[in-house]
Amino acid sequence: MRILFSLIILVSLLLASCSAGTTAPAPANDGKLRVVATTTLVGDVVKQVGGDAIDLTVLLPVGADPHSFDPSPQDVVTISKADVIFINGAGLEEFMTKLMENANSQAPVIEVSHDIELISHEAHGDEHADEAEAHAEDEEGHDHAGADPHTWTDPNNVMIWVQAIAAELSALRPAQADEFAANAAQYTEQLQTLDTWITEQVALIPAANRNIVTDHPAFGYFAQRYGFVQVGAVIPSFSTMAEPSAQDIAALEDTIRALGVKAVFVGHTVSPDLAKRITDDTGTQLVRIYTGSLGAADSDAATYLDFTRANVNAFVQALRP
Amino acid sequence: MHFLLDPLTYPFMIRGLVAAMLVGVVCSLVGSYMVLRGMAFLGDALSHAILPGVAAGYLVNGGAGGALFWWALAAAVLTALGIGAVSRGGQVREDTAIGIVFAGMFALGIALISTMRSYTVDLVHFLFGNVLGVTNTDLALTAGWGLVVVLVIVAFYKEFLVISFDSVLAETLRLPGTLLRYLLLVLIAVAIVVSLQTVGIALMLAMLVTPPATASLLTRRLPSMMALAAAIGALSGVLGLYLSYYVSIASGPAIVLVCTGFFLLAFLFAPQRGWLWQRHAHRASQNSD
Repeated sequence: MRILFSLIILVSLLLASCSAGTTAPAPANDGKLRVVATTTLVGDVVKQVGGDAIDLTVLLPVGADPHSFDPSPQDVVTISKADVIFINGAGLEEFMTKLMENANSQAPVIEVSHDIELISHEAHGDEHADEAEAHAEDEEGHDHAGADPHTWTDPNNVMIWVQAIAAELSALRPAQADEFAANAAQYTEQLQTLDTWITEQVALIPAANRNIVTDHPAFGYFAQRYGFVQVGAVIPSFSTMAEPSAQDIAALEDTIRALGVKAVFVGHTVSPDLAKRITDDTGTQLVRIYTGSLGAADSDAATYLDFTRANVNAFVQALRP
Repeated sequence: MHFLLDPLTYPFMIRGLVAAMLVGVVCSLVGSYMVLRGMAFLGDALSHAILPGVAAGYLVNGGAGGALFWWALAAAVLTALGIGAVSRGGQVREDTAIGIVFAGMFALGIALISTMRSYTVDLVHFLFGNVLGVTNTDLALTAGWGLVVVLVIVAFYKEFLVISFDSVLAETLRLPGTLLRYLLLVLIAVAIVVSLQTVGIALMLAMLVTPPATASLLTRRLPSMMALAAAIGALSGVLGLYLSYYVSIASGPAIVLVCTGFFLLAFLFAPQRGWLWQRHAHRASQNSD
């Protein structure tokens, strides 16, 4: 039923965007490289590297959940005109395979997370991640079964993104390679500063409090880098599309009580209803964070750097004594 | 004993059990009339037809959850009255009227939603409650409206029965047939909207149709059929949630599967109307020839 519903809503969106597509011709772009990025996070990093030398379109609107995003015909048009497409990869963008087929696009698709060593769910000891296995079928050549796609929670991984983006842009526009390299170096420096800042900030949280519970396990790379443990999640799957059982919720509440977890962190792109019941029942705090999307332009998470600072501030404020 | 009591140490389980039982009883009661009148499709139709109400509520109130309930209820009641109006006089059959009004309302909802892309996620969330995420406010709302529905049914059950099956008798008794029909449709609309928000669409639809259908295989008298349906609905809610707790499957589907299980048992083994009984009776009649 839910699928039927989403389908029909999708069709309506398609119709709406069709008409929008015919009335708004693509602006002339002065021969700039036409670059498409999938998520707002990838888009921001691409913008930092490409600067004004590229014509960038970000596919997902701010606040959209990348796990459940449905592309519109407008997106098909965007993709079909792109010279290069940057995606997060690691199985995050389940919609990409179909989208590429529909757009009949020959443009290179660059997985910015390609060179990152992915955390697999076996390593988590998490037995519920069946949903993540479905991701494997969407990929060509890579087997991401059960891999955690949320690589951006560690700025060191985003430095790897920057390299991949700079390399690809330079290959496509050798004349501007110096510009891309300079942008990449400058942004990498900012990411290193961010990494140092996070290390200082999390030092304020005693080791005993470094247990995080989130709406879905999206902070594996952050936890690995800064010494946290993801002890549980409201939806125990790498995708937000799964539904928990009563046993899952009971086990989560037991964990929260046993470890004295102080807060449950819930992303802005998902409904907080279920998490709210859990925090009410366990007497903990519900804290909103950013997971799969940047915030709006006027929010405290309009860029990747701000997004990460906002999350770290939320963690520190909720978990420090 | 521990097996039964352990889950009850969790407040969310208690709220879920109460919600599932309330929805089970209320839906089974109104569902009994729907199954008898051959309007099982109405539940599906109404749950989709509230979409324009929810969408309009979003456009006007900007997503405040409490207000959306009233918008949804208004849309459902309007749809129910619309179905009543179109099928009045017998030119258009009731099931046809359901199909027409439901399609129109749903399309209107989609048209409204297509004007506001970023809200669709929230809208879909609103339409699909989760029995594990029930609040005390939801419970109070469900219990309050549920009580209203039950009281109206208790007061008018015979009248509803007569207008459903014997229009000649209804005329003779000078029952306000049109008014009663509208009242029944509005009751169904209220039960559906309340349940939808509390436990989600799949569970609500199953509770509306499956327990009454099961009960109809076991008894023919309406009062006992309604009581039995309510009992099956409530019991399915409880067993389904325990299943979700001990076997770790999502709660909504667990409850629906228990409902379906009860139906299959009745379908196979019910005295006189069950498959086994029928087969046996068939054999017996052949042997006696």
